[in-house]
Amino acid sequence: MFKFKSLIIPFAIYIILIAIGLSQPGLWQPIMYIMFYIGIGVALNNFMGLTGYVDFGYVAFLAMGAYGMGVALGYFTYLGIWAIPLGFVLALIFAALLCTAVGGVALRLRGAYFAIATIGVNEGLRYLIEGAKIWGGSEGIILSGKLRKTFGPEFANYLSTFVADAALIIIIFIASVITVYMINSRVGYALLAVREDEDAAKVMGINVTKYKLIAFFTSATIGAMIGASAWTLKLTYVFPEDVFFIHYTVEAIVIVMLGGAGTLLGPVVGGLIYGALKYYLSVILPGFQLLVFAPLLLVIVVAFPEGVVGFVKKKLQERGIIEYIT
Amino acid sequence: MLLKLENVTKRFGGLVAVNKLDLEVEEGEALGIVGPNGSGKTTLYNLISGVYIPDEGKIIFEGKDITNLPPHKRAPLGLARTFQIPRPFGSASVRENVAIGAMFGRAHAGVDEALEMADEYLKIVGIYELRNKEAKLLTPLEKKLMELARALAMKPKLLLLDELLAGMNPKDIDKIIDLIKRVKEEENIAVVSMVEHLMHAITKFAERVVVMHQGRKLLEGPTIEVLNHPEVIEVYLGGRVV
Repeated sequence: MFKFKSLIIPFAIYIILIAIGLSQPGLWQPIMYIMFYIGIGVALNNFMGLTGYVDFGYVAFLAMGAYGMGVALGYFTYLGIWAIPLGFVLALIFAALLCTAVGGVALRLRGAYFAIATIGVNEGLRYLIEGAKIWGGSEGIILSGKLRKTFGPEFANYLSTFVADAALIIIIFIASVITVYMINSRVGYALLAVREDEDAAKVMGINVTKYKLIAFFTSATIGAMIGASAWTLKLTYVFPEDVFFIHYTVEAIVIVMLGGAGTLLGPVVGGLIYGALKYYLSVILPGFQLLVFAPLLLVIVVAFPEGVVGFVKKKLQERGIIEYIT
Repeated sequence: MLLKLENVTKRFGGLVAVNKLDLEVEEGEALGIVGPNGSGKTTLYNLISGVYIPDEGKIIFEGKDITNLPPHKRAPLGLARTFQIPRPFGSASVRENVAIGAMFGRAHAGVDEALEMADEYLKIVGIYELRNKEAKLLTPLEKKLMELARALAMKPKLLLLDELLAGMNPKDIDKIIDLIKRVKEEENIAVVSMVEHLMHAITKFAERVVVMHQGRKLLEGPTIEVLNHPEVIEVYLGGRVV
């Protein structure tokens, strides 16, 4: 059975956004700002949405990705252009290492205990890097000079604009395909059972630890790719206090819940609403945006407790036309 | 011999919930387990399905020692159970619930195959028309039927029913007993049914019963004979048991 029909709507949203960004001068950066939020939503959803576990330390995976790329570009600059693929590989490795360390221990905890343990990991890692002066410590890794020296100013500029944005877009497309694949496979059904009743799931033959780790790993590596491209490549620096900033985790959680956890379209719509509103409010009400933003989010979350997409899906399910929405 | 418990003991602190219990279940047989509240029946089920690991003794399934096997490794061998209070995967549809059973139980079906099997078993238990409903919206009876379908879709060799019939009216009870008997014959499943009070139901269903009391096996034998035994009547009416 062909199960990828549900990719049509999110792909259409991405393409329309990109088209708007390319055709309207001055709108490309705002569009990429929204794409970043869609990206972290889609990435976190692969874990939080599918398992029901709230990971408050999620940003640590983006940080691992940012450091992976930062280390490759900062310390292996002599590799020239090959430092970039190396950066993505290192991003993957760093995220996978952290994933193994955290997943093996923290995933045995449930509910609030898991959430708190993951915050601890995030903060601990940040202080480790700052305190032990790893990779520049609290001064971070600054790449703009090195990049300009190695690649020339034009190509360095091209890297941080076109390459970084293109990479983020490709990652988001791939991440959506992965989500659809997961939801419709045995993994998706196993995680559905885990989310609803972990103990009943075990008795029914589901190796809950294995499936939780699969989701954790998938989500972490996508997050690391986003960190490597949308942060290090685009901004050309890595500061620990930025990349471990818990604020991004909270934003990702809000996006997932706003759109609808565990659905494919949810984090896309959530990221779109969140990113667009945040940007627009900061333009028309600079300084007051959060004051307006917070109550607005409250209203949406109260009105649609299952997220916007969750709500629509439920309405459509009653009429039996849900093929296109997952 | 399908299942064999040898000298199994489970303690919770000072309380001995199951005490040196021996139990044997033959392939394809219908066994009833009766006993008053607190006699260790549910603990026994949790020991067999792997929720608890016994403090002493051995559990053998089809000649294989499964005493220390986690629950998710026992189900694929052919063990399935229902819960006293149904535990549906609430936000999933009824069809998905049953399909999950088919995917991860002994049936080990692929996604599409599992969804087809789900339809089949929902028809067998008679709630096919509810297949697209969210499982949490079902009535208690429908939830029990769904759990039965989910357990059957796992294609077990041994099915443990935990108070499946409690709270049902006599007409439904007869219907479900007929249904279980039919599927049991067709697929050669050994069914162990645990009840607290529904003695007339157990007489219709079980060939053999085990009476439990305070974690021990009080009596064992052909259904009618055992249930009419004076000791059993005493246990239920609160008489003195030696």
